Amino acid sequence: MGIDFIDVAQAIIDGLLFGSTYALIGLGFTLIFGAMHKLNMAYAASAIAGAYVGLAAIALSGLPPVLAFFLGPVASGVIGLAVYITCFRYMPASNMLAPLMASIGALFFIDEIIIHATAGSPLAFPAVMDDVYFELGEYGFRGDLIFVLVTSLVAMLVLLYVLFGTRLGLATRAVSQQVVAAELCGIASHRTNATTFVLTGVLGGLAGCMAAAAVGVISPLLTVPITVKGLIVTVIGGLGSIPGAIIAGFAVGGFENLFLLVFGVNQRDIYVFLLLFVFLVFRPNGLLGKAIKRD
Amino acid sequence: MAFYFGLLQTIGIHTLLGLSAYVLLLTGQLSLAQVGFFAIGAYVSGILTVIFEYHIVPGLFAGALAGGAFAFLVGFPALRVKGLMLVVATIAFSEIVRLFFFNLNWRVMVNGVEVGPDSTQGFREIRFYAANGWDTFDVVLFIWLFVIVVMAMLWWLDRVRAGATLRAVGADELAAQSSGVNIVAVKVTAMTVGGVIAGLAGGLYAHSATYVDHLTFSVLLATFAVAYPILGGLSSVFGTLIAVIFVQGILIEGMRFLGDWRNILFGLLIIVAMNFRPSGLLDGNVLSRIRRMIGHGKPDGGGRHA
Amino acid sequence: MASRMAGDAMLELSELSKHFDGIRAVDGLSLEVERGEVFGLIGPNGSGKSTTVNLVCGVFPATSGRVLLEGKDLGGLPPHRRLNAGISRTFQNIRLFGELTVWQNLWIARRDAPGEEAGFMRNWFGSSARIREAIEETLVFAGLAGRANDLARNLAFGEQRRLELARAVSARPQLILLDEPAAGMNREEVEDLKQRILALKGSGITVLLVEHVMELVMGVTDRVAVLNFGKLIALGAPGEIQGNMAVREAYLGSPDAEAA
Repeated sequence: MGIDFIDVAQAIIDGLLFGSTYALIGLGFTLIFGAMHKLNMAYAASAIAGAYVGLAAIALSGLPPVLAFFLGPVASGVIGLAVYITCFRYMPASNMLAPLMASIGALFFIDEIIIHATAGSPLAFPAVMDDVYFELGEYGFRGDLIFVLVTSLVAMLVLLYVLFGTRLGLATRAVSQQVVAAELCGIASHRTNATTFVLTGVLGGLAGCMAAAAVGVISPLLTVPITVKGLIVTVIGGLGSIPGAIIAGFAVGGFENLFLLVFGVNQRDIYVFLLLFVFLVFRPNGLLGKAIKRD
Repeated sequence: MAFYFGLLQTIGIHTLLGLSAYVLLLTGQLSLAQVGFFAIGAYVSGILTVIFEYHIVPGLFAGALAGGAFAFLVGFPALRVKGLMLVVATIAFSEIVRLFFFNLNWRVMVNGVEVGPDSTQGFREIRFYAANGWDTFDVVLFIWLFVIVVMAMLWWLDRVRAGATLRAVGADELAAQSSGVNIVAVKVTAMTVGGVIAGLAGGLYAHSATYVDHLTFSVLLATFAVAYPILGGLSSVFGTLIAVIFVQGILIEGMRFLGDWRNILFGLLIIVAMNFRPSGLLDGNVLSRIRRMIGHGKPDGGGRHA
Repeated sequence: MASRMAGDAMLELSELSKHFDGIRAVDGLSLEVERGEVFGLIGPNGSGKSTTVNLVCGVFPATSGRVLLEGKDLGGLPPHRRLNAGISRTFQNIRLFGELTVWQNLWIARRDAPGEEAGFMRNWFGSSARIREAIEETLVFAGLAGRANDLARNLAFGEQRRLELARAVSARPQLILLDEPAAGMNREEVEDLKQRILALKGSGITVLLVEHVMELVMGVTDRVAVLNFGKLIALGAPGEIQGNMAVREAYLGSPDAEAA
């Protein structure tokens, strides 16, 4: 036997809690896709970069470590705006390859700057509530992961309010559905898109800080894996679907930790990718993605 | 001199890798799976020449066929999804292949020495060239023979109906279907051809490097494979070659004095290039201007028809 | 209608429906297009004309009902197989392969006459005098002789429209669907298009013409069907349709509604 039911359940609990960061990253990809029908490959890189800036700010200024969770997202928002201007703003609308490739260039650029600045070595990231441990019967809940979950949920609620409860959100959705019509109604599509990038950047920065806090260290080596996981979450959830990305984020987190327990660290990701392929074959539009309709 | 021969080998192999992505880009598909086929070609041909002591030529062909076979199999599920979903699906495929070789352990005694893929330690004994007395110049010629053959075939493809059909699918899938093109067949064929070329490039790479491990076959290399044809432009096979020479020859080797600033520069270069030349360095307009300059008769398109 | 022989119809739509998210774009449409006629399909914007064309071409599946070509149910055949079966089309918003030459645009769509099909290698990787002649002929038909080596995107608007038509003709169809071919054309160009459509009819091709430009519809069609809200509201000779009250109401709104 070797693996008890309780181990499996505990692994899934830890995975679900950590999965909230994947949900945030997936949300960022899906929101930008929803707004512009384009992928921002530099998204996870700007999230990690934001976390680094937050870390550097508290290290240099001696501010309390918790402020990293505030400064990081702000920095990511700024980086998100820079990515929009350099990789999306001036590209021809019909060209899909150019912005995709440019954002891959931005991913390298950001990643290499981090490597250059830190000499490539990982840095310790402040954890919050890592000395707390809740027990519920036979199951344990790590305090730092609870913090990650709660913060992520609050961020999601704020996001949903912005999207569905404010004029800004209305403009975003109008632009994503009909650019020309939205512009005729006086909505500046470039400014709306830029806002989406800032908003998702802040979300990503929060996710970057959360992931770094949960792992305990931050390293440029995290960029590509988090990009890939975020993309998988987006596809499984259905490109452009907000609830899909949230559900898929938690699901991928849970499955990933389960695979880790059953197959070990070297093979864990193989099974995560196979999970993606199962979706591509049987549900190519993802959990909640819309089927392709008339053009 | 050895330095330049080494560089020529790298340029040749990367050109093949870029061309494997170019074939798919013609049909409008951005595939990051090319590095997966490249890895399969590298391991298959390496295993054949090292463990089974094949000659390199059948080894390379087997690697190319294996790359093509996997591309064919991946083609069907992957091409059900479009555009950006395909990007994600192909990243996942390449990562599965990489992790498979990361876990592959197949050590065998050959002529009293233990050889073969050693999971995390990589596959270290791919010494066909040295064992058979080929010097680096022979290897350069050998690699470029393949590069020239592949480039010539792709150049010719643009002059026949099959090539026009590939580009038609890339331009407008519905119009192509309405013109009688079976787009699934075209895409799977392009994927397979791309897999064969990538597998061949992988085999050549393994024997030049004499050592492969999973780290080589990263998402980074997958990105290079698509970056070459996109940066160079899809109007001609020469765009890919020019981009490889520029990136490998000038940016990476020519600017060694810049140290790790080169990597930062690479990212920046892609961003700048895409902003100023979204259709690549060698786009249709530049190409027709070149044709006119060398007095190639026709003003546009360059066909030899009518 | 009932007295007509079933085998006469080139195209038959039977109880054809297409729903998008509850909107009935085409709603139980039945009609027959006879062999060799030019059949007009008109109706206000959003009446389901383009959806009908897309259903006939297999762009998306019908919600219910059937499309029959010469009595054979096309079922779920994808667009490229429908071209092989004998249906070709043009697009309302021109969809040429812009980065390819005029010649290549025609070469892609070209089909050999039945019984003269070239082998796989020659079809995809070769060429022949016969193919060159046929494409040359199509170019002359479309008034594009001499433009063979120009990129499609460099053609003038009127030429692009003619190339769309030429590409559809290049496939040797039995039935050709023209989706608003006169959109954006001036009077002279419409007259020119009229002559080309009549030439198609002369060579035995059946034409289904979806169009807003009444001058063209009334000038070339043998019969006209009028759609409104996805339903057939009138069918007859062009002269009859012009005087039909129901048609006026569909386009202009009913007199009562206007008064209210």
